[in-house]
Amino acid sequence: MRSGLLSPGLLRDVAFAIAALALLLVLPMAFPAPALRDFLIYFFAYGLLAMSLNLLVGLTGLVSFGHAAYFATGAYAFGLLMQTGRVSIPLAMLAAVGGTALVALVIGAICVRLKEIYFSFITLAFQMFIHSVIVTWVSLTGGDQGLRGGIPRPPILGLDLNDARVLYGACAAVFVLCILAMRQVSQSPFGYTLRMIRDNPARANFLGVDVTAMKLGIFVFAAAMASVGGLILALFVSGAYPEFAFWTTSGEAIFMIMLGGTTIFLGPLVGTLLLQTLNHFVTIYTEHHGLVLGTVILVIVLGLRRGLADVVYDWLQGRRTTRPNTPAGPTPEGAEPAPLPDGALKSRIV
Amino acid sequence: MGTNTVSSRAPSRRQVLGGLAAGAAVTGFPHVAGAQAKAIRVGMPTILSGRVAILGTSSRAAAQLAFRQINEAGGINGRTLELIDRDSKGRPDEAAKVTRDLINNDGCEIIIDGEASSGAFAVHEVIRDLPVLCLHTCSETSSLSADPKLHVKTAFRCARQGIHDAVAGGTYAARNAKAKGLKRWMTCSPDYAYGRDNTAEFLEFAKMFEPSIETVDQVWPKLFAPDYTESITKILQTKPQAVYSALWGGDLVAFIEQSNLYRLFNSITMFSGGLGDPPVLTAIKQLPPGLNTAYRYNRNYPAKPANAAFADAFAKIAGHEPTNWAWQVYLGCLFIAEALKRTNGRTEGTALAGALKGMSIAAPFAVGDTITMRDSDHTIIGYPVAWGRTVPKAPFVEDFSDVGWGKIVELETQWKKSKGYA
Repeated sequence: MRSGLLSPGLLRDVAFAIAALALLLVLPMAFPAPALRDFLIYFFAYGLLAMSLNLLVGLTGLVSFGHAAYFATGAYAFGLLMQTGRVSIPLAMLAAVGGTALVALVIGAICVRLKEIYFSFITLAFQMFIHSVIVTWVSLTGGDQGLRGGIPRPPILGLDLNDARVLYGACAAVFVLCILAMRQVSQSPFGYTLRMIRDNPARANFLGVDVTAMKLGIFVFAAAMASVGGLILALFVSGAYPEFAFWTTSGEAIFMIMLGGTTIFLGPLVGTLLLQTLNHFVTIYTEHHGLVLGTVILVIVLGLRRGLADVVYDWLQGRRTTRPNTPAGPTPEGAEPAPLPDGALKSRIV
Repeated sequence: MGTNTVSSRAPSRRQVLGGLAAGAAVTGFPHVAGAQAKAIRVGMPTILSGRVAILGTSSRAAAQLAFRQINEAGGINGRTLELIDRDSKGRPDEAAKVTRDLINNDGCEIIIDGEASSGAFAVHEVIRDLPVLCLHTCSETSSLSADPKLHVKTAFRCARQGIHDAVAGGTYAARNAKAKGLKRWMTCSPDYAYGRDNTAEFLEFAKMFEPSIETVDQVWPKLFAPDYTESITKILQTKPQAVYSALWGGDLVAFIEQSNLYRLFNSITMFSGGLGDPPVLTAIKQLPPGLNTAYRYNRNYPAKPANAAFADAFAKIAGHEPTNWAWQVYLGCLFIAEALKRTNGRTEGTALAGALKGMSIAAPFAVGDTITMRDSDHTIIGYPVAWGRTVPKAPFVEDFSDVGWGKIVELETQWKKSKGYA
């Protein structure tokens, strides 16, 4: 059902995005600790990486082990363009995202033809290829020392991004816009086609869906969104480093998804917040953070067997359905239906 | 532990409550850290976990030792120095994050950057944004201080640097090549930017001083490779008279031990830039005598009572001999204390930087009387750049041969011109 030009779902999403942005902008004013701003900028960067990866893992069923390659590509492309001193920040951002999308188009055209573990491994192989290019092309990228000399932040429309508060506001706005874009893709007919491909690719193919083209489309879009995360981080730390493209960064994004869950749209953000918070505090008190983080992940994986947001959502659903004389409401648009038991029909959303 | 006043101890209830308070700060409460602090907080982002954790643990121990001695001597105008360290896990973006946290959240007024090279560049950019005094104590990459485009007014390097080592190494190698007729040289260095740059600079200066030196082959094993058989076999086949290696840490230990199996050093003269670090020397089960190595640290060189006292005191805290990073951090702490004295305890970055420029201090590691923080490019000169030969007994390296700093500075200036730095 449509009201005017915008659907109610889109209107609700836009309203939610505006509220979220307002909250993010007000938060540092209410609590002016610079550490909070810093923490949130890291959250934006890695949140976009995890959210975009979930478009592949959760939405399409493509487990990519090499998603950080696009995070790094965005960071390096943006940093290198800004270091020329000839382009504005918005132009460099658009060029970096566009450039990353092109790289992803070429790599994706090869990867999406493979399935399951073969897809995972080829994405990992391409990530390590990009990492090797970064490390060995010293004259361009600075090699293993990273992109040196800082990334200039010329003013945009009178806004001085060298002011930490302005930088934070700009990052928050870009973050919310990207989440909104991912949300629209996820809720579009294209997004539902991807769910069908995830649950039953043979059936999707039989119905006339070009499975390869659909997978390629979401692969490129997810890469573009990851690149925005990378350029936010590059802008903030004023550099880009080969570690951005290393497989451990992709591994972290997978951890974030595991911790938060793949069913709820914002689940990966919950995982990002959880991992970043744990990382922040555990690192303060011990260098054995790997042990602590490993234990937490073990507890979640073995104890909850799904992400935290999924558990909370299922618990809320459970309470709603067990209430006497209260019919279960329709599935909220913020969530997909709870996973079905093993062996049940997999194509749950078509 | 992340917070150390000088001596480390188990987390107390107060520290746990402190952690919760810090959590509250990040999640919303106003920033209060440092408002009532009497101590001058010095932050140290460094690598405390993973394969090169000894870089961070030995750096931390050196800072703990220095701060204890400074505090016991009365501190700075009655204020003590307090070290707050944080693990960056060897990731540059994490190094930037923890450095910002140390300044913004923990109220650190000075930063001792205990990061390896890429992390050091990340910290450098943070200092450009948040201009507190920063001393880089581990990065040896020359451009960090030599490239004027990277200059940051409140950032200094208190560590050896590649170009100084290259001049000293080249001079020593040329001297040996001439004396022993070593003309056919080969290199075996790790395949990454530092390994390749370091090797190229060593050969450049060696050939400049002794043109008869010829590079007959070069092998580039992977960084952190467990097996060097392929490289060793290639060296044996090529039969050079001398081999230079920029391998370091555990890689160098593995290479030497595997080379022992092939009796490589019976017929080939070895030159190593990284062998002189005491933990490396002690980790090698059968250290062959007569290997040539650059000075990294040695309790007998420079032969000064203060140097031996430093080694003893450090070993009590760390449980092992000082590393190269340890003396650099300790020296950095001495520079900080002296700068604070000259500013009467003022901790503003610009004031401390002004005091530090051109400062000379009588350090236990000075080749002459003092080590100087050079005004023009914020880097130290006058530290040991000698080469020595291995012996089977501790401290494992002796017969140090130094190169005059006048010659090093002259060639460094030429190098800077060639790079467009001067």
